[in-house]
Amino acid sequence: MLRFDYLEARNLRQAISLLQRHGEDARLVAGSTDFLVRWRQGFWRPSCVVNIKGISSLRRITYSARNGLNLGALATVQAIELDPRIRRYYEALATGATSFAGVQVRNLATVGGNVCNASPAGDTLPALLAFDAQCNIAGPEGARTLPLTEFFRGPGRTALSTGEVLTGLKLPPPQPRTGSLYIKHSPRGAMDIATVGVASVLTLEDDGRTCKDARIALGAVGPVPFRASAAEAVLKGKEVTADLLAEAANEARNQATPIDDVRGSADYRKEMVEALTNRTLQYAFRMARGERLSFEEQRRLAVQTAF
Amino acid sequence: MADFQVLEQSHPRVDAWEKVTGQANYAGDVYLPGMLMCKILASTRSHARIISIDTSKATALPGVRAVITGYDFPQIRFGSGALKDRYIMARDIVYYIGEPVAAVAAEDEITAQEAIGLIEVEYEDLGAVVDPLTALRSGAPSVHPDLESYEGYGFTIEGGNICTLLDADRGDVDQAFMEADHVFEDTFRSQGINQGFLEPMACAANVEANGRLTIWASTQGPYQVRAQLASVLDMPLSNIKIIPMELGGGFGAKLRLAFEAFPALLSMRTGSPVKLINTREEVFTLNGPRHPVTNYIKTGVNNDGTIIAREAYTIFDVGAYLGAGPNSGIGHGLGAYNIPNFRLRSYGAYTNKVYVGSYRASGVADMTFAVESHMDIIAHKLGMDPLDFRLKNTIKEGDIAVNGSRVPGNGLEQTLAAIKERLGLPKELPDGHGVGIALCEWRSGTGPSTASISVNEDGTASLLTGSVDISGSDTSLASIAAEVMGISIGDIIVASRDTDLAPFTGPSGGSRIVYSQGKAVQMAAEDARDKLLALAADRLGVPQEALGCAGGRVYVHDNPPQGLTLGQLASASVNSRTGPIVGNASLSTLPYAPVFSAQAAEVEVDRATGQVKLTRYVQCQDVGVAINPMAVEGQLEGGAVQGIGRALTEDMLFDQETGAVRNPSFASYLMPLALDLPELETLMVRVPSEDGPFGARAVAEPPGFGPPAAIANAIYDAVGVRIRELPLSGERVLAALQGKISEDVAYIGDELDELKRAEGLVA
Repeated sequence: MLRFDYLEARNLRQAISLLQRHGEDARLVAGSTDFLVRWRQGFWRPSCVVNIKGISSLRRITYSARNGLNLGALATVQAIELDPRIRRYYEALATGATSFAGVQVRNLATVGGNVCNASPAGDTLPALLAFDAQCNIAGPEGARTLPLTEFFRGPGRTALSTGEVLTGLKLPPPQPRTGSLYIKHSPRGAMDIATVGVASVLTLEDDGRTCKDARIALGAVGPVPFRASAAEAVLKGKEVTADLLAEAANEARNQATPIDDVRGSADYRKEMVEALTNRTLQYAFRMARGERLSFEEQRRLAVQTAF
Repeated sequence: MADFQVLEQSHPRVDAWEKVTGQANYAGDVYLPGMLMCKILASTRSHARIISIDTSKATALPGVRAVITGYDFPQIRFGSGALKDRYIMARDIVYYIGEPVAAVAAEDEITAQEAIGLIEVEYEDLGAVVDPLTALRSGAPSVHPDLESYEGYGFTIEGGNICTLLDADRGDVDQAFMEADHVFEDTFRSQGINQGFLEPMACAANVEANGRLTIWASTQGPYQVRAQLASVLDMPLSNIKIIPMELGGGFGAKLRLAFEAFPALLSMRTGSPVKLINTREEVFTLNGPRHPVTNYIKTGVNNDGTIIAREAYTIFDVGAYLGAGPNSGIGHGLGAYNIPNFRLRSYGAYTNKVYVGSYRASGVADMTFAVESHMDIIAHKLGMDPLDFRLKNTIKEGDIAVNGSRVPGNGLEQTLAAIKERLGLPKELPDGHGVGIALCEWRSGTGPSTASISVNEDGTASLLTGSVDISGSDTSLASIAAEVMGISIGDIIVASRDTDLAPFTGPSGGSRIVYSQGKAVQMAAEDARDKLLALAADRLGVPQEALGCAGGRVYVHDNPPQGLTLGQLASASVNSRTGPIVGNASLSTLPYAPVFSAQAAEVEVDRATGQVKLTRYVQCQDVGVAINPMAVEGQLEGGAVQGIGRALTEDMLFDQETGAVRNPSFASYLMPLALDLPELETLMVRVPSEDGPFGARAVAEPPGFGPPAAIANAIYDAVGVRIRELPLSGERVLAALQGKISEDVAYIGDELDELKRAEGLVA
């Protein structure tokens, strides 16, 4: 079906009822940066499109040291990239956002859309996973929360049921002595999809040497983005050394289950998981020890490009 | 440098306003009352017999006005050159996935698309061959079993899939290899490439009341499209008018007939105008890209670094049809060097893939990657500086070029010297960083060129040529006319044109517009100027030799205030004995004028990921004279960017079983973006050509040749690994760093032996 009805929801309740009414034939959109492309390609051919972009209450980004970060689902990727609090306390999320597509697309694309699109290569997803994001979901039965780790069910598939809308993401408050970085491997610096994406968040004990907590998430190397828990386990409670980081990186490689496609072979992707996990951990360690990397420096590290 | 009034100064493009404000009209902007939209049904099989096509459901869909298949066209094969190997739309057999099988005209695009989905085609699969090396082997499935019966078939060596062989020989190459102190051989592979123009192929067609056919086309070659369209529709050429619209990039892909015949026939069937705009996916899957090329190269060198022999075998994958084959690559096996003994061969092999097209000097960029990487390898093995080794062997004035002509004066050595000075070569860089150079050569394009200039009563001049503007060529042609006639560029009106109106000319491609078309404009302007001078001499009562032409007037040299303006002369000419002032010129072939470009890249290689980052790119070209320096710089930068993409990221991927294009989109076929590139440094040297307008040389093509080799050489300098296959991706570099790519991975000895045996060169 090439034609579709276009509906705009004025508020959340209306969005939910429209989704309920049209069921599987409806598609929810906001920035529409994925939708229009996929529609033209013929992958998505809904009979009804519900746009929630106008629901301004879902656009907010709030932060407090006590409650952490709340991202409205309609917060744009650009807003996340530019937010000084995110740059300060959730560096990997800001670097994930800055490596996302290009400026024009970042201005339109929303974090909720990136999450609900559930691409294994979504650039904000590894950082959100590594920061233990919780999903706020509203639906016909009311509101519920779900850890992001349980949200992805396969490429393009999520835990949302008919009529449900992702309304926001909640990230716990930042821990002291924490550093984080996302690195995206893609030949082109803008408008490119990750061949591999790795986000690492490292928290040190008071001694500044021992790993208190480590969270590593991998993108584009499996059907969904996921936490490399075995690699995290290698680090926890141990004194951070170059050898330990290398061991964790190797463990992350073992957890990756990439495929061969036009962007790279499975073998190369595994190599990249190891190299980039090691590198993100090295920088996260330095940042956790108090080294301040400028955002420009983080961006240079985050986008692995040819030009 | 000569004292120019207009040339060697940067002028904004004459069409800048329309382009920048979005008012320029492209073929897709043509809207006519009652216009229908056309969509194409593409083959889903690599090689198959068409058992049946059922269009009844599509025809019955409301809003559909006509459906055509290959059987609706005259049964006439056509070709890009002499060999006529294809029907305009599949007839009986499909040869690649993507080949047009049917087309629909409907009242709107969505209806046309829905109708396409209702056409039912039954196929019977035939054996497909996808790999060109396999295709060349005896016993391989034949792509065109009846090839020898095709009109224009002229190749006599056995081998069902060889459709063309170009060769060049000099001296005794086998003897020279035996005498050489060292012999080096390498094989290089370059990838499939898409031209990446922004405006997809588009056209509109309308049958006029008098039965003539008008085509609004996105084309570089309106006269070539007219001739080919007349051929496939079996109608007189004079019944067709081609209106070339603004061109949103072509790079060779729009030199020939594309899909204009579909809306043309649909318009003839329906009596309504019909428009076709390709999708980007169609641009990738059914409009001739460049295919992977294998280049084997062998060189005999003496201890002092003198090259005495060269053998080069090129295997071109031409896809399903010889759209644009090995053509220009062949002579470039020597590179910019004087080599006394050589044997050069270019084979075109059919495979079941989309047919090959032209792209900014087809084949030369692939060959330059091979030659200039090979030169670097030899220099390092001989322990010579790569730049010195090149300089020792460069072709010089008076040498005989590969095509047999004498090499005229040129700026080759100055370009190398400029690069050396700009970069401070030779230089040591930190580990992981490297610098590499490449020397590129090309020739200025010639071919039929015409121009006509009429002087208007207000002193302006109208310039009419049949050539389509590419990359600001209209502005350059206007500059040349203005320079000759002593008026400002703003006083030249560049007439819009069509094939009824303007005289025949060659296509806008092959680096020929400014060099050859520009020469015709210069001659036409001189003709007009001479007529102005003659008229002025008559009116002023002074000999013609006593007059000059500048500042919009003809004046007496010895008494400049005495004279007449061009407006006065043009007004007077209307009723003069000789009539209105019109200058004309028509020429065919200009002599060989080489173009040389030296280029250098600096890179940083990430040893952990293999990722290469280009940090600096410098090029220097001998442009002869810069007609419009701003436009020249734009051409040099644009070409380098295309070459950089080819070097690092662009890669058309084909399914190894079916030959289908795996990445038919700009999201997966990665061209460099403005955001990504380092600052490009462009230098020019100026050694005027003997025959070009005011000494200009061609500009457009060499800038794109150098990046693959320069960057590969820089990677070797940075981390000591040699990559012989494009693109120079992180994956390849990492594999090489880990020792997973061996030196002879690309060795094609067996295939070469087979080719040489077929030619009788070996037993």
